[in-house]
Amino acid sequence: MSLPQATPTISNEEFLKFRDFFYRKTGIFFEETKHYFVDKRLVERIQATGNDNFRSYFVMLRFETSGTELQALINLMTVNETYFFREEYQFTCLVNSILEEVVQHKPRNESIRIWSVPSSSGEEPYSLAIYLLEHWPRADDYNIELVASDIDTGILERARQGRYDQRSIQHLPEPLLRKYFTKLNGQYQINADLRNSVEFTLVNITDLAQMRGYRDFDVVFCRNLLIYFDDTSRRIAAESLFNALRPGGFICLGHSESMSRITPLFKVRKFPEAIVYQKPR
Amino acid sequence: MALIRKTHTTPSDGNNRRLPRDRQGLLRQLEDEAADIRRWAALDLAAFPDAAEEICARLEQETQTSVREAMFTTLIEIGGNAVVNGLIPLLRSEDAALRNSAVEALQQLPDAVSPYMATMLEDPDPDYRIFAVNVLANLRHPQTPAWLVQVVAHDRDFNVCASAVDVLAEVGTPEAIPALNALPERFSDEPFMQFCVQAAIRRIQGHDG
Repeated sequence: MSLPQATPTISNEEFLKFRDFFYRKTGIFFEETKHYFVDKRLVERIQATGNDNFRSYFVMLRFETSGTELQALINLMTVNETYFFREEYQFTCLVNSILEEVVQHKPRNESIRIWSVPSSSGEEPYSLAIYLLEHWPRADDYNIELVASDIDTGILERARQGRYDQRSIQHLPEPLLRKYFTKLNGQYQINADLRNSVEFTLVNITDLAQMRGYRDFDVVFCRNLLIYFDDTSRRIAAESLFNALRPGGFICLGHSESMSRITPLFKVRKFPEAIVYQKPR
Repeated sequence: MALIRKTHTTPSDGNNRRLPRDRQGLLRQLEDEAADIRRWAALDLAAFPDAAEEICARLEQETQTSVREAMFTTLIEIGGNAVVNGLIPLLRSEDAALRNSAVEALQQLPDAVSPYMATMLEDPDPDYRIFAVNVLANLRHPQTPAWLVQVVAHDRDFNVCASAVDVLAEVGTPEAIPALNALPERFSDEPFMQFCVQAAIRRIQGHDG
């Protein structure tokens, strides 16, 4: 009879070793306070991959050519959820800092083009629309084009319909909910004006040929996407985003992502509200 | 004004390009005066794996970061022997940015780099050997710890060994410990080595304290 296997444990040195590696690969840094969070997920993957200790698992993780296990671990260590006004400080940065700089170099008759990719079920592009209308005093002075893209046709259809449950809208102030949404069978549907103001398109940003149609954007929101790519795809995606921006255009990544770890193509810009990346002029 | 919707964002069908996209045409465009044209040529050359040698040869003359990056992206996509053969000589370049980009590109081509690694680690130039160790720092290849142990056991240069110890701290297995333990004696006039080795062994063993 075989004895049940003991649950693997992660020593402090092993935590530090893993933390250094994971930070270099992803840009995500775990504070000491996240020890338990990290350990729990590491142990889950150690067991799922048939390893019985951290050492053997780490060797596998480190040298597996396909990168599949690293990807599984990234998925587990990151929380992929979307809701209205998620990471609101970046929207604040958009209206307070980024757009003010964009319009300094833009004639009044030229549109401001903003791209949300991946748009998922639409929370981000609609948040952008609401934020611009509510918080950018010069919104009426310019034509603003909002393009939202995703690789998943099903999620794009949901985005076009613009129907959300309570979890998606939980961070929206009540007055904005009343102003821009209609309650419908227990869900909240964003109003037709806003639905019609966003162009939803299907795209794979690692496909350079497909991406050629995406040009002249002033600002791109590409949050929590690059982290899910392998090294080569991430590089190609960075090239695509560079091509999609106008000179001087800005890109906003997720809070744990860093363009500097992927490519030297962009300048780092530190605004009071957020760190973003800029295509050189 | 305010929010408007336009529907002109459509994927390119590839037929409306201004300049020819054939192999020879793209290689010619790599020498164009306009950086934008050179950059698009570099990206589109990914469709022509047999152009790897010419792209590598062009890297040292290219001064624009955006074009260079596009060339490296294409070379990584192409991969294989011709790319590795073209990138390895760049580890001797005096241009640090170019050298670092070459190291990063080689790290992403583990299978193609592996046949060259033993020779790279025996090069007479210690700086070059350090760059080879830098490649190993992020090379997803099962042979990596063994190559590093070889360095630690046999390389006569302090800086090369110290670089390898640093990498072994992360990727080393217990098999590396005897070679690591022997290092402080080989470099007895360098107290820093003792410190590095102790830190690396602690990490490899995974012991606290």
